[in-house]
Parts: sequence; C-alpha cells; structure tokens
Amino acid sequence: MENHKELDVLTMQANEANQDKKIQKFGRREILKSAIAGAALFAGGAPAVHAQQKTIRFLNAEPSRDSVKALRVAAAEYERISKVKVIIDTVIPDDAYNKLQASIAAGTPYDIGTLAFAGHVFILADAGKLVPLNKLVSKHKWGPRILFPINGQNYWYPYDYNFCWMYYRKDLYEQKGLKVPTTWEQMAENAKALTGDGKFGVAQPLGNNAAAQWMSLGYMWADGVKLLDDNFSLVVDNPTNKPKVMAYLDFMKKLSPSMPQGMTQALFGTVLSQYSSGQVAHAPYAGRLMEVIEDKAPDLVAKTGFFMYPDSAGKGQAVNHGYDGWVVLNTPMKDESLKFMEWFTENQYINFLHSAPLHFQPPRLDVYDDARWRAHPLVEKHANLVEFMKSFLTRKDVIIRSVDTEGPRVDLRPAKMFETFAITEALQNVVYNGMPSSEAADIMAKKYRTVL
Amino acid sequence: MQGFRTRSDKALKWAFIASLSIILLLILVPVFHAIQLSLFQSESFISNKNWVGLANYIRILNDVVFWRSLWVGLVFGLLTIGLQVFLGIIFALFLDRSFPGLPIIRGIVILPYLLPTVVVALAFQWMLDGTLGLLTIWAEQLGFGRPSWFENSYLAMTVVIISSVWTWTPFVTVSFLAALQTIPKSLYESAKVDGAGLWSQFWHVTIPMILPMLMVIILLRSIWMFNKFDIVWLLTKGGPSSATEHLPILAYRRAFLQYDVGGGAAVATLSFLILSVLILIYFYYFPLEDKESSN
Repeated sequence: MENHKELDVLTMQANEANQDKKIQKFGRREILKSAIAGAALFAGGAPAVHAQQKTIRFLNAEPSRDSVKALRVAAAEYERISKVKVIIDTVIPDDAYNKLQASIAAGTPYDIGTLAFAGHVFILADAGKLVPLNKLVSKHKWGPRILFPINGQNYWYPYDYNFCWMYYRKDLYEQKGLKVPTTWEQMAENAKALTGDGKFGVAQPLGNNAAAQWMSLGYMWADGVKLLDDNFSLVVDNPTNKPKVMAYLDFMKKLSPSMPQGMTQALFGTVLSQYSSGQVAHAPYAGRLMEVIEDKAPDLVAKTGFFMYPDSAGKGQAVNHGYDGWVVLNTPMKDESLKFMEWFTENQYINFLHSAPLHFQPPRLDVYDDARWRAHPLVEKHANLVEFMKSFLTRKDVIIRSVDTEGPRVDLRPAKMFETFAITEALQNVVYNGMPSSEAADIMAKKYRTVL
Repeated sequence: MQGFRTRSDKALKWAFIASLSIILLLILVPVFHAIQLSLFQSESFISNKNWVGLANYIRILNDVVFWRSLWVGLVFGLLTIGLQVFLGIIFALFLDRSFPGLPIIRGIVILPYLLPTVVVALAFQWMLDGTLGLLTIWAEQLGFGRPSWFENSYLAMTVVIISSVWTWTPFVTVSFLAALQTIPKSLYESAKVDGAGLWSQFWHVTIPMILPMLMVIILLRSIWMFNKFDIVWLLTKGGPSSATEHLPILAYRRAFLQYDVGGGAAVATLSFLILSVLILIYFYYFPLEDKESSN
C-alpha cells in the first residue's frame, strides 16, 4: 500500500512537470545540465545495476539454428521469471571441451557446459571442476549406459543418446529383390548389388576421426568384440577377440569396393549428403539423417528403411554408442546454475529435444511417454523409427558399445584409446594398404597398449 | 656502433628496447611455458600436474612414432622448400622480362599467397574429391582410374606438398623478383661481351647476386615449413595411417587430443631444439653476410 501511495505522488509530480513543460521553454544550458546529470546518474548507476544482476554463462555445443534458438528462448524466459541472465555461447562439438578447458585455465570458467565425451567429464570431475547433479538426475529413470557415474556421483545430465545404425534404400532393395541383411555376408552382397552406374552400395567413413569410429565399428560390436575387460586390461588381441577383429577387418575390405572414393576424408556431413543425394544406398547415422532427407530430399523419406548393424553369423545386432550432455561447473555461480538446470530440465528439456526431434534420442525414459514430446510432427510421423530407436534401450539382445565407453566404468583409458585411432588405422592398413588382417590387428593392439 | 647521441637517437633507443622487450616477452614466455609443461605429467591443462623431470623426453625419444613424424616432417619440409625455391626462381626469371600484360601476370602470380589456407585446403579437397573432384575425373578420363588421393600414403603426401608449394611459391617468386631487379643490367651486358650464354649469365651473374636473398628465403621457408600445421591438418589430419603426421601434428594430437600435455609439450620442445640446431648448422655453412664484410 505504501508503494501505491508513493507511486501516486510520483505520478502527480510527473503530470505537473509535464504541464509545466508545455509552458516552460528549456534553455540550452538547462538541457546540457540535464544531460550531464543524466549521464552521471547512468554512469554511476549502471555498474550497480549490472553488479546486482546475476549472470550464468552456458557453453552450448549444438550449433544448429533450432537448438541455439531453443536455448536462447529458454534463457530469455528464465531471465524474465528469475532475473538471472543466462548467456548462451555456441561452439561446434569438437571445440567444446577445449573451450571449456581454456575458460577454466583463464580464470573465467563457464558455469554450464556441453560435453560429448565421457573422458572429458572424467577429467573435469577428477580435477574438482564439476558439481554433482545427483538430485537432478535422480528425478527420472534413464536408459542404459548413459549416466556414467564417477565414484557414485552423477556429474552430467544427458540429453541425447546419439546411437548410430544403418539406413537403406527400400525402393532399391525391392528393385533388386534384396532382403534386409542379418549377416556381414548379406550386407556385403547387398552393397555390391547396389553398386554401379556411378552409385555406391554403402558409405562407411574410414579416416582417423570420430566419424569413422562412430559409423564404421558397429559390425564389430555386433560380433561381440570387446576391447577391455573388467580390469581395463586389453583383450582385443586375446584368442577370443582377435579372430573376430580379423574377420571384421576382412569384411570391411570386402565391403570397400562398394564404397565411394575418399572414405578416409568422409565426415558426418559427407555421409548425410551422399545418402540424401542418392549417391549411396546404405548410410550409417542417427535420427539426423531422417531429418535431413525430410528437409532436403523428401522423396527419399518413404523409400528409406533402417536396421541395426548385423553380426557375422546372424545372431547379434548392435548400435554404436554416442551421447551428449550438460555439466555444471564448480564456479561461484554453481547454486544459480543448479537452479537454472533444475528449471530447464523440468520445463525446457522437451523443447530443446524438439530442436532435433529425431536426432536427439531421449535418454530419459519418461520422455518417450510424454505427450508433449510425441506431439512433434516428425516424432508422430516417424513413430516406427522412434519405436525402433526406443528398442535399443528396452531389448536385452541389442549390443551398445563404443571405444570410449569400453571397460566396466567411465575412465580415461578408453578415452585415450579412442584418440589413438588405432582401429581406423587398422582398417586403412587392411582396406587400402593390403596388410593382412592379423598383422593389422597386432599393430592396433600394440598402439592401444601404449596408452593403457 | 656509433652510440645514441642525439635526443632522437635516445628516443630511437628506447623504442628499440621497448619493441625488443615485447618481442622477447611474446617469444620467451610461451617457450618457457612449453618447456615447463614438458617436465610434468598432466592429462589436461586443468588437471593436477606431476613433476616427472625428463621422463616425457625419454618416453618420446623412445617412441618410434616420434622418429617417424620427424622423418615425415623432413621429407615434407625439404621437398616443399626445394620445389618452392626452384619454381620461385623460374617464375621470377620469367616475370623479370618485359612482355605485354606483365603487370596483370605479376598480379595473378601472387594470388595463391593471398588466399587463406583454409580456402586453399577446401579447394584442393573439392578438386580431389573421390566422386566429383575435377582432378579425379580428369585422371579417370586420362585412363588412370580414380586415384585414391587421401587413402594412399604417397599420394596423400604428394597432395600436401603440391598444395603447400602452390600456396607459398608466390612469396618466393616475389622475393626473388625484387632481388633480380636490383641487379645492374651492365653486369649482364659485360657478361655478354665476354661471350657468356644465358646459362652462364644465370650461373655467374644472377645466382651470386641473389645469393643473400636465396639464403634468407631458404631459412625463412625452412622455419615456416618445418612448423607448418594448418595445411596438413586441414587436408589430411596426419593420415592415412599417420603418413603425413609430422611433429607439429604429433604435438597437437598428444597435447590436445590424447590427454598427454607433457608429451605434447616435449614433442614441441624437441621440435624447437631440432629446428634451432638445423638453423645453427645452416648459419655455420651459409653465413649471412653483413654489409661491412661484404664491402
């Protein structure tokens, strides 16, 4: 009530002043005085206002226009309701960890970051740079192999499974009378049958990069290969695994004549463009591929099918693991960051997932039954794809693996193994250099051992 | 050295000292920091550092990967420098003559040097694309099939060398052209009178006169090419099978990708030492003449 009275008095004074303005002419001196006084007031007051406003710096590593927009809208909404400003900086995924690391080393760390590699979470947590998110994480049920706890603490909040599986051209399969492959042999035959007239059977990146390790190892996982045992000892060249690795390398050599040239240079975008342009009949990817062809080559949507990576004997199936998530850094703003994350994950999580509706595969199981998430037109339209994706989490027979998540728990050793690119070098040695698979497997194991 | 006597001389002295201090600061601080990092074991730039002394150096020097990368760097450096100097001299000799449209040709020649490296790398990647690349298609039409530019170790190294030579030869050309234009024409006329042919004029007049420039160019290009990271990284990332992985890429991989900051810093420090030794040897055999001694 007191405030209302004050407001009334102020309003009356303002009205009187306005009346006066109509009859009183300001001289140049008065105008200058007012301007100086106003500037002084602004200069003096601005830092105080700025100091009062809390600011959270959020490093985003999802550079697509829709994802950035979703985060910015969420930040604006949060500022409106909480008066806490959230600044969204965006980098490409490959730069996220180095940018985060640089910000910490420079003494101006981001408050929230995006990471796509368990090893980076491990390093930051080990250095005491992260805040546990147990309270946030425990509110929901999660799919398998995604929380990556470190010493019983959950340091990250995943938003995307990022599995990789195979897409294929159903129309071409019908034309050639092919069946969805359940073995490597069938896969190689199908790819061969679809190669010719400037078209290729399959795109499988083979360079020393993350794309190749995400898109081309699924066949090997499907055959049950393990790189590390439960003690983080290398077992890839033991009597059980080495023959499987050799068979995998030989299979990839057999598959290679059905691939376009330049597979050592192929990255994520290469495969998307090769499939959406009709150059290849099979392509490995996550939901992004369907989003891309919906946008760029809608005629291919109905002609596209999908399957998991088959094994050599028709008994196993696998998808290659990938993941993305957020971490909260141990900064003076950690409490505010946690509050923001609590609000964001309850109120904006689905909006953010909708920025890549088929690509961001929810690791939170409640999302699959959430009508808000299912209401997205692409999620609705591709219900069969969504069910297929969900089956990776519910079926016990699906193998989910990746080099960087090998071993019994998150650790830096498999992350180091990932960065050696020993497996992609083995592929290059066999496919392009004609090296016997046994020798290539030995070199690979030797290289892995150097970092264990 | 006459010393700084006048007021303007003193100002010049302080400006010189200030500039030198800034340069030393900018050079020495990173060098000392790299050396310091190389004496610790650390998985990242924010992790706890453990003092290991020279262990990183011993580990790196015992690693076959280091020696392979050194060899790759030497091959890359020597071939690119040799080709740049050879082609640079030829182009400079050509452009030193008078013919219609010379200013335009000179302008065109410098163009590759003006392009950002990332543009050069993208252009080469497009031209060599396995499916749609212009050079790939030409090679196929000429009956060579579709070359595996980036899959074959030798071809990948060739691509990296050619793209480097294409980009940086104009710098060498322009430098030599400037040197050529300082040679008095009377020297050539005297040589002609003495019966010297074109080759003899080149060998006995041109080369001695541009020798100081040649020495500087070789020195500069050696430093730059030995440390060249961008074009190799953008084109091949050191592949295939580490065939183009030289020391700068190895250092980057170790420090920024393979969680071995100490190892990466040790590679960088060793690379710096090797280059310093090579330059000292170069100066020993090819001393840069100062003005007084040449007089």
